[in-house]
Amino acid sequence: MYEGVSFIPITWTDMFYLAPEISLVAAFILLVVLDLLLPRRVTRLTIGWLTLVGLLVSLALVIWRMWDMNQGGVSAEAIGLLGNSYRIDDFGSLLKIVFLSGTVLIVLLALGSVRDDEAITDRAEYFYLLLPAVAGAMIMTSSANLVTLYIGLELLSLASYVLVGLKRKSFVSAEAAFKYVVIGGISSALVLFGMSYIYGVTGSVDLVVIRDALPAALTNFKALVYVGFFFMLAGFGIKIAAAPFHAWAPDVYQGAPTPVSAFLAVIAKGAALAVVFRILYATVFFSVNGQDAEVPKNIFYGLLVLGAIAMLVGTTAALRQRNVKRMLALSGVANAGYMLVPIGISITVVHSNNFSEFIYYLIAYLFMTIGAFAVVTVVCRASGHEELKGFSGMYYRAPWTAAAMVVFILSLAGLPISGGFFGKLFILLGAASAKAYWIVAIIVISSVISYYFYFGLTRQMFMRSGSDDSAISVSAPTAIVIWVCAAATLALGIFPGPLMGWIDAVFSVKEDLMLIIK
Amino acid sequence: MDIYSQTAWLIPLFPLAAFLVLMALGRGYRRAGVFIGSVGSLAAFILSLIIVIDRLGANSVDYNYAFDWIVIGDYTLRIGFEVTNLTALMLTVVTLVSFLVNVYSAGYMKKDERITVYYGYVALFTFSMLGLVLSDNLLSLYIFWELVGVCSFLLIGFWFTLPKARAAAKKAFIVTRIGDAGLLLGILLLFWYMPDHALDFTRIQSVFAGHSGSIANGVTTLIALLIFAGAVGKSGQFPLHVWLPDAMEGPTPISALIHAATMVAAGVFLVARTYDIFLASAAAMETIAYIGGFTAIFAATIALAQNDIKRILAYSTVSQLGYMMMALGLGSLTGGIFHLFTHAFFKALLFLGAGSIIHAVHTQNIKEMGGLGSKMRLTAWTFGIGALALSGIPPLSGFWSKDLILTIALEQNPLLFAASLAAAFCTALYMSRLFFLVFTGKPTAAASKAKESPISMTVPLIVLAILAIVSGFVETPWNGWFGSWLSGEEEAAHGSSFAIIASILVGFLGIYTGWIWYGKESSRRSAVADKSPGLVKLLERGYFVDDLYAAVFVKPLKAMGDVLTFFDVHVIGGIVRIVGAAAISTGRTAARLQNGQVQTYSVTAVIGLVIIVAAIALRRFLS
Repeated sequence: MYEGVSFIPITWTDMFYLAPEISLVAAFILLVVLDLLLPRRVTRLTIGWLTLVGLLVSLALVIWRMWDMNQGGVSAEAIGLLGNSYRIDDFGSLLKIVFLSGTVLIVLLALGSVRDDEAITDRAEYFYLLLPAVAGAMIMTSSANLVTLYIGLELLSLASYVLVGLKRKSFVSAEAAFKYVVIGGISSALVLFGMSYIYGVTGSVDLVVIRDALPAALTNFKALVYVGFFFMLAGFGIKIAAAPFHAWAPDVYQGAPTPVSAFLAVIAKGAALAVVFRILYATVFFSVNGQDAEVPKNIFYGLLVLGAIAMLVGTTAALRQRNVKRMLALSGVANAGYMLVPIGISITVVHSNNFSEFIYYLIAYLFMTIGAFAVVTVVCRASGHEELKGFSGMYYRAPWTAAAMVVFILSLAGLPISGGFFGKLFILLGAASAKAYWIVAIIVISSVISYYFYFGLTRQMFMRSGSDDSAISVSAPTAIVIWVCAAATLALGIFPGPLMGWIDAVFSVKEDLMLIIK
Repeated sequence: MDIYSQTAWLIPLFPLAAFLVLMALGRGYRRAGVFIGSVGSLAAFILSLIIVIDRLGANSVDYNYAFDWIVIGDYTLRIGFEVTNLTALMLTVVTLVSFLVNVYSAGYMKKDERITVYYGYVALFTFSMLGLVLSDNLLSLYIFWELVGVCSFLLIGFWFTLPKARAAAKKAFIVTRIGDAGLLLGILLLFWYMPDHALDFTRIQSVFAGHSGSIANGVTTLIALLIFAGAVGKSGQFPLHVWLPDAMEGPTPISALIHAATMVAAGVFLVARTYDIFLASAAAMETIAYIGGFTAIFAATIALAQNDIKRILAYSTVSQLGYMMMALGLGSLTGGIFHLFTHAFFKALLFLGAGSIIHAVHTQNIKEMGGLGSKMRLTAWTFGIGALALSGIPPLSGFWSKDLILTIALEQNPLLFAASLAAAFCTALYMSRLFFLVFTGKPTAAASKAKESPISMTVPLIVLAILAIVSGFVETPWNGWFGSWLSGEEEAAHGSSFAIIASILVGFLGIYTGWIWYGKESSRRSAVADKSPGLVKLLERGYFVDDLYAAVFVKPLKAMGDVLTFFDVHVIGGIVRIVGAAAISTGRTAARLQNGQVQTYSVTAVIGLVIIVAAIALRRFLS
């Protein structure tokens, strides 16, 4: 989009760097064709396993790329592609690893639970549509350009709309898909509206150019800059499901197949949060001095307010929920609030590891949420409904699964010895060192309120006896998901040091977050 | 050369693995449970033995391994383990007694329905105790310290259907808690004042031993006394000794393992581990010495008038722990640890012997026993050896360690020397009273049917009896090897012929008095009680300390508790209800917006946007 450069052709080197995304798209196209050609009698679970292979190939490519870039211990320069609209850097690679790992777990979960869901008629789509969705999330994290970013967002959204409505025989699912499309449309509209203002005052969609042009734009069009950023934030707020933009989440999570709910709760939410992180830190920060320095401060402050509202509304609304998936949706709203905190406190002289706090919590959140949703699939199959009382007497029916669920609950509630505890602790300490004490207070208050409904679940499992006391069987892929998640949650809760240290080591605030290219 | 010490971290893992396997197995596998528990502790013992043998040579270096557990900003929390000669010694004692108790329990607990659970708890206790010993810093030591407390609670209340066992478990937990609170405060103070907030023993040693003056004298004394408070609670020192006699409600092997040989010695170990803090404060040292000395004579006199065999031994334990504390307070680390070492064997022996007797006659009242000597020869012989060792008769182990403490007391403080000599007399007297009443005389109805215990119970008795005889020779008035090995410095063997003669005389005098009063048929039974019933009553009730506590602390606290309950129910509860109601009504409002209408959702989003913009406007307005 630079002056005089109208078109930059894609080269083989570019393709090489884009291999993870390209492999996903290729796998997607292959599977679509395969689905058409395969005779009916071949089970569509095959497609599921092939989807898994596609994801693992892409994951391996991302890891290899990241390893290659971090050789020698020094964080390498980021690689800019396609006229600097696409960046391969540690920020993107770390998040891609998180998203791909999460999707791997979700595909496994879908493989373990698809047999129980009679309402899903198109089983092949159920798996292979996750490929473009996660590719969209990856494009979002890697883009350094508003247009690329928007394309990624839409790719993710369109695939998700279909996934939510896959239970074609279910009225709830259809309603959920419809609501998601409408609200998603509003979200896109808000994002585009905001972007257009930013483009209008800076004359570019390139984040680096926007950053350089922003100080000048502020002197003349301060109000328009505010409008641009706040509309974008509101749009992404819907995707993140941060209150007050969260109202769709319980309905959609309830209607969607449970693995898809987990996908929305983890990957879609994480990608939108990552994008907010990238846009804000690449454009508004440090570039503005003097009288207009209050503008970035106010934008960050707005983010914190959004986080605070999300935490409080999420936890209080969850108090009254009797449906587990709706409860987890609202818990996701509160968690979105926690993850907005490290973004919103911005960087100060004494505190600059916002990103490691954010991604540590995101990783912990990934495992505890997917794990909890996996347990929900088990319970729903055993009880035939998604109400809280389906958990009653679970300790007597499936003691190990109940034990794993306790680990997830501990983590969600932010208690030791779990990943959620350290995740929340790091965020809390970060906020405290940035002297944002009011947000610390809100984190603590909302955590305390959340104990009530999290431990209501524990109470059901251990202290209520259900109407049925036959043993619950767990399918092998689901069991793998539950145990991987439980083990990872515990590992993160006992040894937070290595991961945190490694993230701090590979990540560079200037290059990875602020897009400063040497 | 430290190849064995480097593997020390494996030692606690054996009992931990045993615990996990036992918990996973459930109650069905009774025989397997016994086997797994025993093998776990045997493996731990063998490794400990290898380590201690490896370190026997001179100049063995302390091995420390630690890693950064949590890094928060500038503060790094390191945890790890440390092997010194002291910890190696403790490891061996703990694992050996634990193994023998495991073997013994196979017979003693054979008929118990929950034997697998029992073995699981014992394995968990062994793990926690070993973790406590190996800790290289006060924080992880504190965690394991609490964990052994929990295991003690679980095992005292093992037969939870008995109300007395429940009450005793609760009492043990609450009373030791008072000491633990002190310890926690001490650790926090130390954390606050230490350079870099370090809590590892190496740094504590370098800060306090150097008298660098970085920590004020008053603070040092305070920290030392608070840490000592923890030791007072755990090791049953006056005035927190009241829980230990009641703890005898637990199974007898547990009394041997936890409440005689290992956990109660943890208080002594703690003081020894943080000895440099105490050495830096003369006032703290004096406090320890006097509390130890007082406890020694105080508990010994109470033991004279008890009729429950296990309670006699429990008061005896309190008294002997008092000796150890006194030795530490008088500046002799060797004296305290040496007595800990020998006491672990002969007191475990006595408890297991008592268990063997109880197993045979189904009563704990020594007045209902008698003439058991001919029925249970092995038990009688081994118990006799234990009793002589405890009474300080040469050449048994108890003589050497008690003599060392008496010698130090004679050198430093005549008053404490007199007190400990008197306590030694009482010790010999109550042990001979116990022995004569139980094993000699005419068999009672209960005793006439008694049979010797099974082999799984007698073999540990024999092993411990041998150790009770020989373990004292590591340190004699002519040979200071143990002290030199423990401290790593050449320590002169010091003996005083006066102390030796006095201690032997007092021991024999005590036994002779016991024989006159309780052994001879003519004067048997009620002689003393008839002459001075008031004194006996006073001793029987343990100087009414429990009654005093009930009147002074428990009742007022309960009354205060009632007031607080009222406050809690109506004021705090009211606030909680208001908060709860507020949260729920917020939730209700949120739920009203959650009406399923997409239009409402969109409007909510727009309102939200307005709210955030308003919040920013408000902030600008305010600032």
